[in-house]
Amino acid sequence: MSIIQVKDVKKWFGDFQALKGITMDVAEGEVLVIAGPSGSGKSTFIRCINRLEQHQEGQIIVDGIELTNDLKNIEAIRSEVGMVFQSFNLFPHLTVMQNITLAQIWVRKKNRSEAEEKAMELLERVGIPEQAQKFPGQLSGGQQQRVAIARALAMEPKIMLFDEPTSALDPEMIKEVLDVMKELAKSGMTMIVVTHEMGFAKEVADRVMLFDEGLLVEQNTPDEFFNNPKSDRTKLFLSQIL
Amino acid sequence: MVDLIKKTTKTLQESLFSSIGSSVLTIATTYLVINFFRGMLGFALTSDKDWLAVLNNMQLYMVQAYPEEDFIRVWLSVGLTFVLAGLSIGIWRSEERVQSSQIFNSFFKGGLGVLFFTIIAPTNSSFMGNDGSVVTEEVFSMDTRLGILIPVVIFCTIFFGLRFINLKFTVNGSDMVFFYLFIPIALIWFVKLPTIQLDSSNERIIPDPLMPIASTTKIPWTVIFVSFLASYFIGMYLKNIKSIKSAMSLSWFLLPLLIFSWIFKKPQIDMSAVLGSDLPIFGVFMLWGFLVITFVNNSLFKKYYSYYLGVTFLLTLLGVFSGLPMLAKTCLLLIALFSVVVPAVSTSSQGKRSLLIVWAVALVTLTFLLRGGASDTGIVVPGSSIFGGFSLTWLLAIFGTYVSFPLGVLLALGRNSKLPIIRIVCTGIIELTRSVPYITWLFFASVTLAVFLPAGVEFNLIVRVLMVTAFFSGAYFAENIRGGLQSIPKGQYEAADAIGMSPFQKISLIIMPQALRAVIPTLVSSAITAFKDSSLVTIIGLFDFLTIGKTVIGNQSIPVNFVGHDRENLIFVAIVYWIFTFTLSRRSMKVEKKLGLGER
Repeated sequence: MSIIQVKDVKKWFGDFQALKGITMDVAEGEVLVIAGPSGSGKSTFIRCINRLEQHQEGQIIVDGIELTNDLKNIEAIRSEVGMVFQSFNLFPHLTVMQNITLAQIWVRKKNRSEAEEKAMELLERVGIPEQAQKFPGQLSGGQQQRVAIARALAMEPKIMLFDEPTSALDPEMIKEVLDVMKELAKSGMTMIVVTHEMGFAKEVADRVMLFDEGLLVEQNTPDEFFNNPKSDRTKLFLSQIL
Repeated sequence: MVDLIKKTTKTLQESLFSSIGSSVLTIATTYLVINFFRGMLGFALTSDKDWLAVLNNMQLYMVQAYPEEDFIRVWLSVGLTFVLAGLSIGIWRSEERVQSSQIFNSFFKGGLGVLFFTIIAPTNSSFMGNDGSVVTEEVFSMDTRLGILIPVVIFCTIFFGLRFINLKFTVNGSDMVFFYLFIPIALIWFVKLPTIQLDSSNERIIPDPLMPIASTTKIPWTVIFVSFLASYFIGMYLKNIKSIKSAMSLSWFLLPLLIFSWIFKKPQIDMSAVLGSDLPIFGVFMLWGFLVITFVNNSLFKKYYSYYLGVTFLLTLLGVFSGLPMLAKTCLLLIALFSVVVPAVSTSSQGKRSLLIVWAVALVTLTFLLRGGASDTGIVVPGSSIFGGFSLTWLLAIFGTYVSFPLGVLLALGRNSKLPIIRIVCTGIIELTRSVPYITWLFFASVTLAVFLPAGVEFNLIVRVLMVTAFFSGAYFAENIRGGLQSIPKGQYEAADAIGMSPFQKISLIIMPQALRAVIPTLVSSAITAFKDSSLVTIIGLFDFLTIGKTVIGNQSIPVNFVGHDRENLIFVAIVYWIFTFTLSRRSMKVEKKLGLGER
């Protein structure tokens, strides 16, 4: 049973066509890695899934709800879908604890103590319970990204989107974030990850996709994708990054 | 001590006389500075000063011609402000600690200030009698001078020494606030200042030189101080009650309205109007609000909700331009705004209950204030306005900021809106208001505004000035805040969207707090500008603080001669303005520091 269904999605920025008809499904519990050169439309695509970008043609159905201009649908989908950004986008004026409890209190209407309990549980899961009362500016990049993951998880989403979560990090910090993501993948979360970390793709992905110039070039299991690529574009891509 | 002198000499040598060039420069600059300030020094040292002009006219400075039998209203408003301040300090700030070294430092500096003025104060003062002859009297004898000098020198030495002893203890910050406030209030009781006495033929006589100046104010100030202290302890006691902080914020919000409509005014209530029109209107709107809150999320009503909104807005539009009573018009506006917000909050029974409380409180307050504000006042004052002096300046500053700040926030948001109509209207208001000088707006308020208001609606000149001031500084606030909004990265909006926040939550919880924090310095400088610009109202015949000092007192010849003593009055006015603006900028620096905590 597929939790995300995408049919022939097209998107233009002015005259530039960023997505030229993407069709795909994501099954529940699947970990999907999207790779591709920059400008290939992979970030645009996952941002379309929770309506941070608006697609102009095609159909996106998330958990049985179609994304249209109806605000109710958009809000319903956003509360099902968590997102982690390349540049963390934590709220700098709030403490780590407040960052994680804010949406629980205001969107999920939980009371404060319940929300804080949940936040502490999540901070322990991502390994930084001792940072709860600090401000984002006082944390390292890796720690900030882990807080961002905890913030997204606090909404108890069914799907998590990762938009290049490790691209803004020092090499040393990449591992701590990837470890959290691996743990999350093993727990059965449906994940779509846009990343250049091919090691991560090999280890945890159920399926790997290659985007190029707004088209889905190839999709396959990691084994097949890395060892036996079908298209020439994939071969070229792999030869350049490996 | 010897070390210190050596160190000081060394620093002086290094920084001022390190080479021939810098020595020349030091000497030349010193000469220029002394020459430049010679006039000022001359004024400071001369005996030809009459501070009595300021002291004797303190009442005029504060409230102009406000009738004395109604002073209780002014005291009440000052007292209420202090009580609220005391409660707030108790609730929010009772645990703030201050380093002892900081306190010693400020005591030392304060002592130095007193020392300076004691030394430069002239011994004699000369004034012109009614017959034109110059009379000289001794106002500050050598004995008094020594009597002040010796204790102050001892005081300064002690605190100077204390700064070098490594005493590390902290004092409760609010205790210090009370101590600082206690000093002037104690002084009113004990220190006597000379005031002028007149004999039967209105001739100025040289009296027993020391008469208590504050005979009329010492009792009220003491009562206010005591209630300030009491409310501080009450605040500390109430600190842990659940919603006390929001209740306090609400009280601060309502205070200026209450002061304006009930305390600075003696409303003459027409009971038949209260029973005949206020109560029925109140009832109707209470019921309306109740129905909306209860049924808005009902599935049947939900379908027709947009029609309901349309009808309500149309009714409001028609109602505002019809002959309905003011209260009904305002209630219509309120219910139209309220109906927009309700569906989002009225989802649970708890939400419904709190909405109902909010609605009831809003309606009661509105009825109460409108009846008070619209009634005739029993206070009769000669001239065009019942306020003058410092009360007017203060009212314009506080009320202007108070109305214009929220207005600025709304205009800034409107100018950033995606809806073209809202954007065009807000941009229009901002550009129109900013492109015309403030003085033009003041003339507009005093002459033209009445023409634009619906027939039968008349506002006091001060209210009209407040209206244009609110828009004028609102436009500036809006542009400052818009600058702040533009400094927020797009990622913040996206992050708020991604965790499912509604647009209202996104703006009020994520965007606005950050945008405002980014522009605190410009906001404060706008507020200071608005405070000082309030002195321009002199041009339409209102007597603000500065006008009283410059023209009223500087021209007084009967019964006592203050002609030509503008300088003293201007200096006094300047010092008062400076105290308030300086406090404001200091406070804002503290707030900035506090909010900047997480930034590093």
